[in-house]
Amino acid sequence: MAGGDPFSSAQRHEIDKAIRDAETLSRVEFSVYVGRSEGEPRAFAERLHAALATPDRSVLVLVDPSSQLLEIVTGAQASILLDDAEVRLAALTMQSAFAAGDLVGGITRGVLQLAEHARRPQLRHVE
Amino acid sequence: MTERLPTPLVRRAARAVALTPALLVTGATGAAFATAPNTWEQGPPTSPLHVILVLVVAPVSLFVIITLLTYLPSMSRNAGYHPGEVWRYDAQWFGGPRGGVEALDAAEEPARSDEPAAVTAGPTRGGASGRW
Repeated sequence: MAGGDPFSSAQRHEIDKAIRDAETLSRVEFSVYVGRSEGEPRAFAERLHAALATPDRSVLVLVDPSSQLLEIVTGAQASILLDDAEVRLAALTMQSAFAAGDLVGGITRGVLQLAEHARRPQLRHVE
Repeated sequence: MTERLPTPLVRRAARAVALTPALLVTGATGAAFATAPNTWEQGPPTSPLHVILVLVVAPVSLFVIITLLTYLPSMSRNAGYHPGEVWRYDAQWFGGPRGGVEALDAAEEPARSDEPAAVTAGPTRGGASGRW
């Protein structure tokens, strides 16, 4: 696998900032992996997710530009805040941006959208 | 209303004093005695090659050098991934563990023994998949 840097420092900064903003917004940890996935993509994404510091509270976004696939894994606690329908919506946002050739924009918008959904107060009327 | 000056004599004296400097300056200078200008001395003959070198080659090469200095840094840095290209880069993990993908591979080996634990943790996880 060749080295080199696929992102300019500005793009890198943009993605870092989106992750930071998303984390302050939602109190869910975000992690974005951009690269080739090894083997079965879902299993690989779950392995990546398990390797995070706090998998339960984390959301892992895997973007594989070479095979054009996207995986989002939410941890046990994170999935309470973010149900799968909301994750699918964010995935759609990202997919359409990627299809339009906007890799960095898709990542930042997708992460922020996930955070927006996770922020929504979960406590409904408990009476 | 207006206060007139005391006497015409004083007024005349004041006028004379005011005019003196002007008369002195114009009266004291003589005609200008400049000698006729010499023509420029003829220097050693310059070859047209030298003229071209100084007037054309030097400015143009300055242009080229400045342009190169401006564009080279961004051209060499360019690289970068452009959508649609083949992904030829190392994986980028934002917000991942310290060791990156290598740490994942290292952690993977011992984890293999408790495969069932990972399976039981499976259902609580959520997420989505997609392609584009």
